[in-house]
Amino acid sequence: MPIAQNPLSVEVTLPREDVALLKVEGHLDVDTATEFRHHLANQLHHGRRHFLLDLSEVPFMDSSGMNIVLRVYQEARELPGSVHIIAPTPAVRRVLDLTGVSITVPVSESRDEALARVDAGQTGPEAPGTGAADG
Amino acid sequence: MSGPGQPHEPPEWRRTDPGPASAEPPDTAGTADTAGTAGTADTAGTAGTPDTAGTPDTPGTHEPGAAHEPGTAGPSAAAPGLGAMTPLSPVGRLAATVARLSREVRAAQAEAEGRALIELAKGILVARLGCGPAEAARQLAELAEQSQATPLEFAVDVINQAARDRMSEITDAFLTATGADGGREAAEADGNGAAAGSAAVRLRSAESRALAASDTQAVADALLEQALRPLGAVAVAIWAAGSDGSLTLAGSAGFSPAEAARWRYVPPDVATVARSGLTERAGQWITSLARTGLPSVGRHQYPEGGRAAVPAGTGGRVHGVLEIAWPVPLAPQPPAVVRQVEALAELCAHTLETYTPPPGGPEEPRVMPDAAELMDLADGLHDPALVLVPHLDDAGHLADFRIQHVNKRFLDPAGRPRAVVGGALLLEAFPMAAGDSELFQSVERVYATGEPFRARRMNLTALVDQVPLSATADISISRHGNAVLLIWRIEDETARLASLLQHAQRLGRIGGFEENLLTGEITWNGQLFDLYGRPASSAPVPLEELAAHSHPDDAVAIGRFLRTLLHHRRPASAAFRLQRPDGVTRHVRVVAEPVLDTDDRLLVVRGAYQDISAQHWTEVALAATRDQLAHTEQQAIERNRLTLQLQHAIMPPAQAPLRVPDLQVAVRYRPAETEQLVGGDWYDAVMLPNGMVLVCVGDVAGHGIEAATSMVVLRNALRGLAVTGAGPGQLLSWLNIVAHHLTGGVTATAVCGLYDPARRTLRWARAGHLPPVLVRGPEAAPLPLVKGMLLGAVAEAVYEEDEVQLAGEDTLLMYTDGLVERRDRTVEESLAQLLSTARPTPATLDQHLDRLLTYSRSDTDDDTCLVGIRVG
Repeated sequence: MPIAQNPLSVEVTLPREDVALLKVEGHLDVDTATEFRHHLANQLHHGRRHFLLDLSEVPFMDSSGMNIVLRVYQEARELPGSVHIIAPTPAVRRVLDLTGVSITVPVSESRDEALARVDAGQTGPEAPGTGAADG
Repeated sequence: MSGPGQPHEPPEWRRTDPGPASAEPPDTAGTADTAGTAGTADTAGTAGTPDTAGTPDTPGTHEPGAAHEPGTAGPSAAAPGLGAMTPLSPVGRLAATVARLSREVRAAQAEAEGRALIELAKGILVARLGCGPAEAARQLAELAEQSQATPLEFAVDVINQAARDRMSEITDAFLTATGADGGREAAEADGNGAAAGSAAVRLRSAESRALAASDTQAVADALLEQALRPLGAVAVAIWAAGSDGSLTLAGSAGFSPAEAARWRYVPPDVATVARSGLTERAGQWITSLARTGLPSVGRHQYPEGGRAAVPAGTGGRVHGVLEIAWPVPLAPQPPAVVRQVEALAELCAHTLETYTPPPGGPEEPRVMPDAAELMDLADGLHDPALVLVPHLDDAGHLADFRIQHVNKRFLDPAGRPRAVVGGALLLEAFPMAAGDSELFQSVERVYATGEPFRARRMNLTALVDQVPLSATADISISRHGNAVLLIWRIEDETARLASLLQHAQRLGRIGGFEENLLTGEITWNGQLFDLYGRPASSAPVPLEELAAHSHPDDAVAIGRFLRTLLHHRRPASAAFRLQRPDGVTRHVRVVAEPVLDTDDRLLVVRGAYQDISAQHWTEVALAATRDQLAHTEQQAIERNRLTLQLQHAIMPPAQAPLRVPDLQVAVRYRPAETEQLVGGDWYDAVMLPNGMVLVCVGDVAGHGIEAATSMVVLRNALRGLAVTGAGPGQLLSWLNIVAHHLTGGVTATAVCGLYDPARRTLRWARAGHLPPVLVRGPEAAPLPLVKGMLLGAVAEAVYEEDEVQLAGEDTLLMYTDGLVERRDRTVEESLAQLLSTARPTPATLDQHLDRLLTYSRSDTDDDTCLVGIRVG
């Protein structure tokens, strides 16, 4: 089963007191989403408000992975806090665009860029309706 | 060597011709010797051979009291008579003078050869003793004196010991057999000083000259003079065998030049003495040529004479034949003589190996295809083929064949992979080849003679786990260059089993079919027409239309069956309810397997239907009993079944067609293969009160009853909202609110379009879903990706809209990612691949959707929805 074939590795570092940087390696799919969810819940529990998700080593993400990202996005927004995605691979970037998640969750090219956005208090495209979604 | 005499071995006839030969050995022995002398007189003038049985041991050495077996045609068993020529006539005198002169010449030659042998022995001693040549010569003389042998004999002894070759064996055997003569000869050799005193010396001399000779002609001369005349023979012919089975006279002695020229070439398949010798490993020993009726060189000269034709081969390969002629009928020869002749034949083979026919003679291809070319050839064959190369043992004898190559069609009867068989030795890989089938013997013979071997219905046996399994095969073996090509065709199982199958089909109520996917040709047997309840004159039903003849609830099972068979190209089976035109429903199982061509393309599908109605109800009854016994398990199953039923109720796998003018609408739903993975995919296609047609597909994240429930909510909500007449962007915006406020915080994706039949336009929007695909003529491409967040993730979202103008024959497809989702490639790549598979666009939209489902290459076990509209 994919669990054995594609183990998920999540490495957590704290660039700031309230900022958690999660470097994810492996497929984010139905088999690994729960584990990823536990990592995020743990950081929420420890009072982090901003979540930087480095997805540069994630070759594949399905809707289960997407839902975890959206959940932490919703939970962070209520704190209030923010979620940033860093350097997604083309395949993951494609899914983010397809599902419109990139409309809501800002995508940064690097960790420094994401940290700068956290510092600027800019959480990316603001409330739906005001952003790029207008055709 | 020249020790005391031993009793002769009892005569052991290797080969005899039918006839009274063996009953009259004493006579023939006598006449053979007489003729030996007479023969030379006849052949005076050829190649320096006119001598009177040349050897000093002939007349005077005959000791009546010696312990001779009557049949021994030993060199010394000579008779005094000189035949027709008497020394009294002038011609006779002249002949006697010539004979004397040539005897002197010959003695000088022999002496020279003897010196060559002594030099060779000295060389061996130099190497062995590490001494100089002078010392070696001294040693040789001393040792010879000690062993009371002549230096020449001792030299031969030294060479024999050093060589330890076949020639030594033969020599030893020969000397043992003629021990008494040997001892006496040695004594006489001392006495008259002639070099060619003993058989050992004679053989070595022949070998020495044969090996030194540059051509087969010289070899023939040497053999006749050195080795064969003492046996009473008068002439010798050395034939080179062509790969086509022809024979070329490579050298001869004792025949007149005119006769030799007449026989310079014998075409293939002409039965001659030499040819009969080519195919018999032991050679042909013919008592009298006249009795066999076989033609051969010099037949008119010696019509009643005996002949021997022995294959001349090295390392298992026959290069030609050594034919020896006697002037008189030939008694069966003792083993020692037979072995000696065989050794001489082997000598010839060494020369023949490099023999090139003289220019202008019959040409044969000298450039033989080598094993590499043969492997290419083997790969091009449609039957299993092996390329074999000879495997020699340390002594240079053919021991086995190495399987150099097995072609692609090769199927091991024992089921071993090709790599295991390739490279192995034939007898190791197929130990039974040496058994009753005589396969190995056939290969050996083809290799030896070059004569191809064909056999029909040969019985082959293979050991499978120590169990011998036999198969009947057509065999073809041929030699190419130094390799052997072995081809077999296992007798067509299909043909053999046809009648058996007929009976089985009848008894099992099985209907067989075969569909050619390239030509569309379908073959049914009579039983299948009965099973379908259709007249035998009606057209067979193609597999792709199976669903149309079955219960609607079985559409999924049939779809999966077709997908496994046609797309995954694996054998598949399915059970379904066949609805016959007469209203009868039968439970039927269909099993089928794909047949691929060499390019791995699907060529033919063949299989069978079986009426399992009776069996089916038994199974149902058994299942009910099992359910009662496993109550808890049943509950879990029940839950899944209910979920599935719920899903089926809301979304039948196929829906009744929607009636819209100038528009075909078709939908498909394929549940996940595992029942636990009840999914949240949905589709809808409905005519709205304002005349617009709503088409949509959606996908709720996750699986199970919750996903299915959410799906129902969203689907119904969208239907209700659509009645308001709002545009697709607005509809998705509202649907997002519904999704966001559903408990559990589900997310979902959807694509939603409103088709205006009057304007033939589709206005559409998407919420995180794959955009629709437009198929126009040969082109198929997704519509541009308008922006739209997936449903339920945020409280409010806005959805971009787009409009596309459709034309007649355009097809628009909406689908969920179960159709194309793969981890190893993008959705776009999967989609492009899938659409190209579905080309050319099938005649009806329903067929188009079916084909897409069948050939979808998704690797996730997910449910799949597909909606299509076709204009026109």
